[in-house]
Parts: sequence; structure tokens; C-alpha cells
Amino acid sequence: MGTAPDYLDPQLAYTTQAVEAHWISYTGLLTYRHEEGEPGTQLIPGLADALPRISDDGKTYEFTLRRGLRYSDGTAVRASDYPYSIERMIRIPWGGRSFVTNYVVGAADFDAGRARSVSGITADDATGRITIRLREAYGAFSNVLAFPALAFVPRGTAIRNLSNDPPPGVGAYILTDVVPNRSFTLRKNPEFASFRIPDIPTGNLDTIRVNIVSNTNSEAQQVLNNQADIFDSGDTLPPALLPQIESQARDRFARKPVPSTFYFFLNTTKPPFNNEKARIAVNMAMDRDALSRIASGFLETDCFFIPRGIVGHPTSECPYGDRPDLAGAQRMLRDAGLEGAPVTVWGQERSPRKEYIDYYTDLLNKIGFRATERIIADTVYFPTIGNARTDPQTGFADWLQDFPNPSDFYLLMDGRSIQPTNNQNFSKVNDPFIQRELRRLNAVPATELDSVADEWAALDEYTARRAYVAVYGAEAVPKFFSNKLNFDSVFHPLYFNDWSTLSLR
Amino acid sequence: MAIDPATPDTGTGAIRTASGDSVVAAEPGGGAPAAGIGPYRLARRRLRRNKVALAFGALFAIIVILCFCAPLYADHIAHTGPNDNHVTEKVTVGGKEKDVVSVSGLPIGPTWQGRFLLGADQNGRDLAVRLLYGGRNSLEVGFIATFITMILATIVGLAAGYYRGVVDGVLARILDLIWAYPVVLLGIALGTSLALGGLSIGPIEVSGNSLFVPAVIIGVVYIPYVAKPIRGQVLGLREKEFVDAARVQGASSLRIMAREILPNVASTLIVFLPLMIANAILLEAALSYLGAGIQPPNPSWGTMISDGIRLIPSAIHLTFVPGAMLVLAVLGINVFGDGVRDALDPRARVKIKEKETDKVSDDPVEFAVEH
Repeated sequence: MGTAPDYLDPQLAYTTQAVEAHWISYTGLLTYRHEEGEPGTQLIPGLADALPRISDDGKTYEFTLRRGLRYSDGTAVRASDYPYSIERMIRIPWGGRSFVTNYVVGAADFDAGRARSVSGITADDATGRITIRLREAYGAFSNVLAFPALAFVPRGTAIRNLSNDPPPGVGAYILTDVVPNRSFTLRKNPEFASFRIPDIPTGNLDTIRVNIVSNTNSEAQQVLNNQADIFDSGDTLPPALLPQIESQARDRFARKPVPSTFYFFLNTTKPPFNNEKARIAVNMAMDRDALSRIASGFLETDCFFIPRGIVGHPTSECPYGDRPDLAGAQRMLRDAGLEGAPVTVWGQERSPRKEYIDYYTDLLNKIGFRATERIIADTVYFPTIGNARTDPQTGFADWLQDFPNPSDFYLLMDGRSIQPTNNQNFSKVNDPFIQRELRRLNAVPATELDSVADEWAALDEYTARRAYVAVYGAEAVPKFFSNKLNFDSVFHPLYFNDWSTLSLR
Repeated sequence: MAIDPATPDTGTGAIRTASGDSVVAAEPGGGAPAAGIGPYRLARRRLRRNKVALAFGALFAIIVILCFCAPLYADHIAHTGPNDNHVTEKVTVGGKEKDVVSVSGLPIGPTWQGRFLLGADQNGRDLAVRLLYGGRNSLEVGFIATFITMILATIVGLAAGYYRGVVDGVLARILDLIWAYPVVLLGIALGTSLALGGLSIGPIEVSGNSLFVPAVIIGVVYIPYVAKPIRGQVLGLREKEFVDAARVQGASSLRIMAREILPNVASTLIVFLPLMIANAILLEAALSYLGAGIQPPNPSWGTMISDGIRLIPSAIHLTFVPGAMLVLAVLGINVFGDGVRDALDPRARVKIKEKETDKVSDDPVEFAVEH
């Protein structure tokens, strides 16, 4: 691993490096199917015996805890551990706690110190019943419940950062032997198989030792030379090593797209992109293959905002064609009288994002705009472009899912998301049709997403036709193993390499 | 007519009139003056004898000419601009069609033909075109920065040294303030902030991605390195008899500085000039490498090295070519600058030798610029 996990305490961790270990060590009421692609985004019961029973108004979720569960230290799992786990997560506090505090009754008061417990979560140890009440219907709430940060920990677990000695959990593996910023180990939990939880693998390898190395170059070299077994998919594979890897390790290397959207935002409230023709011209001229090459192939091209692997991704053709049409775009801009319009393109310093912007700026100039670049440091990029005082015309943007639900992506197209600071709706889209559809579709529970897949797809096709953004694809990450491991293990769309499905050759 | 006793300080061996209209020269080493030969003419003679300095000067001149001919090369040979992307295009090399950038993102290497002579970068841009345009940008920044440094440092050095007192105190403290801050760090701080908001001084508006931004930054951060020695020289010169004579004749302070003192520090400025150009080019490259100099997509040698770093093992030409040009340009101007110094101040070399043999020298003029 070239990047250390942010925390190894499951109720603090947020980064990919952390959750790929926590996913198989800390199970919540719900979890995801251990499969590749869209099936991997399907919610399944974890420690709950079934998917939630959701009230008609979508505000009450009821679960029943499986019987006979034990934590990795042997303690019995009780239903009352769950409210405690949620309260610990809020109090500790987890970075994504607003997914809970914004919706669960009493959670905001608990977070603000105005209540001693979260009144909206009740549990009965005798029956194993757990009830969660929401202030308003929130269709993606089942996805929220599947975060490893909302997994069970024993009641009484200290409310402080336990990254150096992670608390007991229920999962196929036990997180242990933590040397901060150096290494940690996952040991197979011998008890887990006896719980017989359907669709959750019990693990093949006895021990998985994770070493954190100083740079990804040496990490890749070690895997290439079979001195280490897995190149962490959360790390960037050094492009300079790609030719060597592709020639020497072709059978143990693959690019795996992850549900994400990479796009150039087009500010619909400001010239020239308040003119639909200007936005369409950009979409027509964009050569997505060029951007994929700039990304060393780690970009799966696409033109729709909901990425592949997420329910609602349209199957139709791109509204402005798959091949770039520069001449058509130039004509359209001329017709709109926008030739020579000044455009400032905002971008980040890190590679290949800077190179994307170099390409995009050149493209805008070729279409007929008068484009200049403004590249700023990665750390201040999103706060800067999300500030109303900056009010950028166009630039780089991306979205990596919080959870596999189209509503998570459409937060960025929601007119209510436009804010003076930390704005995420960079194109400032406030379309009545989108707003109306979002009100309806966002209320559909995540467990019933398939029933509205076509409606999400229709909405996304509409967004593509209006050219509110210029989408060019989804990020791909490397799956790269040593030749000691079988290469057929599951590559999960959320948690990348599923360590519980690894096996030796 | 007054004999200029400051001659040993300036090291030119020149004896000049108070009016500065004519000069006679003394041969170095205390020999008899060569009647009718000016110090600069003498320096030119000495420089002509220094073949190594001339060769490196010529090298630098060739690089400058090549870089300033970049548009001709781009239009008539490469047929592409410095920022034109050709990612998905193909080029015929030796009868075979090759991707400018491969599907896995590897750019083509040198083709040794008109298009992509030195290869392409990751965005499929012609490296040779970017190299020449980058050189032009780097040199322009170097020249403008040096111009700014020399002008401002001369004004500040003259004013501080001549007026002394409060003026000297204030200016010297400002110079100390700039001096105390590491050059690169100061450049990054100014570069980063100005790249975002541009520069606005009264009616003058400079956009963040203009070449003037790094030029002004570099020009300003190097002022103390020139102004301080000038101030030191002026402090000595202002006490000389020829300055007193001018003062007695009723010359104003400005006139004395311009007509009496400035000509006496001119040789110092000439010696500083190539060294400052070299330093400005290097600092520009460093700042651009760190993202605080020339703003993308405009090329400079520094940004080209930075862009190519991550592909070093598979496409070393991306860093080697701009790196080599940078080294050659700086080496050329530096060695030429040393030759100019030797020509204008042949005793400086003697004094260095004296230093090496532990002999105490009187007052050698130091031209080294420290970082």
C-alpha cells in the first residue's frame, strides 16, 4: 500500500485504503454483495436477518438481528450495541456522519450535545429488533447503513480513536498487529463461518499482511518482482512502469473501472456557457479517446453522468455522437456568435488532471473560444471553484461515489446543492424538470432501485442532451497481483480488491 | 579636472575626468596608461583574447537565436503550435504509421524528421516546438527579470549609498527583508498568489498567466544581490574628490549620481548582467518546475522538466532535452559572464590567487550571487 489508511478505527475511517480492510472485518446491518460490476452494488443483509422493512412513508426502517452472532473477542452481539455504535460514530466523530445526522430523528441533537442518545434508533435485545426512524424519506438510507463506519462494535467500546488497537467486530477477518503508518494484519476469524451468513465469503487466506511503503514506484516494482502480492488499487500506478508491467505481467494486471464521473463543468449562469449551443459545441468536439490516452488508459470513456455500474446508467448512444466533430462544433459556435468568447479553464496540479486541462483548453481554442488556463494547488482547488466569489466558467470536476446510488451522483445536478461556499453543483444547474424528477426518484428506497432504473436513465439522457456538463468517462484503477495469487478474485466496485476472495495459486 | 581615485575600487584600471566625457586607461598591474584606449575598448580586446568565453557566448547566442526563431520552426517545419494537442493522431516514421501517443499513454520518441523531431509529450504536443517556445519564454523572463533587477537595484543602490541616513536606513532594511527570505521560497509565495489573481499596480493590470508575473517576481527577489554591492561602492565614491568638485560646481544630487557616480559603477553592472541573466533563467526554471513560474499550458524549460518527470524511465527525452538546453544556456552565459568579468577586472583574478595563497587582499569586488 502506497498510502496509509486515514484511520483503522472503523468508525473514523473514510478512505479507500481503510474501508477495503474494514469491509471484511466490520459488518453492519446491511452490506454489499461480493461481486464485480453492478451486481456488487446490490445491498444484501449483513448482521440483519433480512433487508429492512420500510414503512409506506419511507420514514421507518425495521431490522431483526441474526441470532448467535459473536464479536471477534467472543462477546455476544446484542441489538442494543447498534444504537451505541451509531452514537460512537457520531461522537468520535466520523467524517460522513451528516448522512445520519441529517436524516435520523434525534441524531442532530445528539451530535450538537443537546441529547444523551439518538432518539430515532431503538433496539430490543430480547427480540433482536432494531428500529430506525427518519425525519423525512431518504431513498439512499439503506446505502448509508452499509457503510463500514455504521457497523457493530460492542457496547462500551471507548469513544476515542482506536486505530492502534481496533475494536472487535463481526467479519471474516480480524484487524490486528497495527504498527501505525507501517503495517497491519488481517487474520481470519475462525468463528465467522459458523454464523452462516449467506453471500458473505468467509475468506481463503489465513493471514493478510499489509505493508505501507513510502512510494508507489517501489510498491509496483515489488509486485512486479513477486516480492509483494497486491498493488493497492487505491494507489496510482506509475505510468513509467506501465509498458514493463503490460509486457511482463499481462496475465496479472488489469484496468478496472470504478463507478465515478469525470467531467468538465460548464457554468450555466455565466457566458458563454449560459448558451446551450456553447455547451453542446464542447460536447460535440470532445475526443474522449484522447483523454483516455492522457490517463494512460486509466479512464473508461463515457458521456453520461450516471456511470456504468450504477443503476440508471443509460444504454443509449451519446446524444452528440461517439466520435468528435470539431468542424460541427466550430460551426455551432459561429452560428451562436460566440467565436472569440473569453473562457478561463480551472484545473488541478496533479497528473493527469493538469494534462486533461491542457487538452481541454486547446480544444476550446480550436472550437473558437479564447481560452486560458488557471491551474491551482490540489488542496485548495475544490474550495476555490466552489466559492461564489470565484464563480468559475468551466474546469475540471469529478465525483467518486459515496455509495452506489444514482441519487449520490445527482446531488451535483440538484439546484438545492448550489451554495455560496463549498458548492458542488459547479455547473449551477437548476432545471425544473430535473428538480421534479429528483424529488420523486430520491424517495425510492435503495433496496427498490431496480424498479426505477429506466426513469433514472431517462433523466440522465435528458441531462446529457442539455449538455449541462461535458462528461468524458469514469476512472479506472489497477488490479495488479503477484504470480502467487489467483487473478480471479472479486474486484468490487466500492471496495476494490475483495481480500476475502483472494486465494493462492 | 580631477583624477578619479576610485579606480582601484571599480577595478577597471580607468582614470576618468570628472565630467566623464573622456577616459584614459592604465594597463593592468599598475603599468603605464595606454594613451587613447578607453577601458571598455581595452576590455573588449581582453575579451577577444578569451576564446573559451567567446565560444560559450556564441553558444548562448545561438540558443537565443534558435529560441526566438521558434514561430518560424513551428509554422514552416513542424506545422504545429506549442500548445496544439495531437493525442490521437498518427505520424509516419520510416514508412510506418505510429501513434503520437499510444493507447497506454506513452508518447512517441524522437522521429528525427520535421514533425515531432524530438518526439511528443503526453498530450501529443511537439517537443521540439515546445522546447523552442519554452526557451523563448524562459529567456524572455530571464531578460526582463534582469532588466528589472538592474534598473531597480541601480536606483536603490545609488540612492541608499549617496543619501545615506534615513534613506539608506529604510532602503537597506527593505533589501535586508528581501535578502533574509530564501529566494525560491519567496518566488513560490509570490508566484502562487500572483498566478491566481494577477498583478495590479495602479493602471497597470497583468493577468496571472502573463510572462511578466514570473519576470517581475524574479526581478524583485534579486534586487538586493545587485543593490547591496552597488550601495557599498557608492558609499566610497561619494567621498571622493571628483564628487566634491562636482558638488562645489553646483551640480545637483541627481546630476552627480547620474554623471559622476553611475559611470564609475557601470563596469560592476556590466559584470553583473550575464550572471543575473543566468540566475534569472535558473530561478524561472525552478519556479516553473514547482508550478509558480510560467503558467500552463505555456511551455518553459522548467515546466517541461516537471511534466516529463513521471515518465522518466520510459520517455527520458521529455526531461533530458529541456534539461540539457537549460544547462547549455546557463553554462554559456555564465562562462561568458566570467570572461566579461576578467576582461573588465583583470585584477580580480589576481586577487583570487592572492586569496588562495592566504594573502589578504585590499578590497576585491565580489560578483558571486549567493542563494
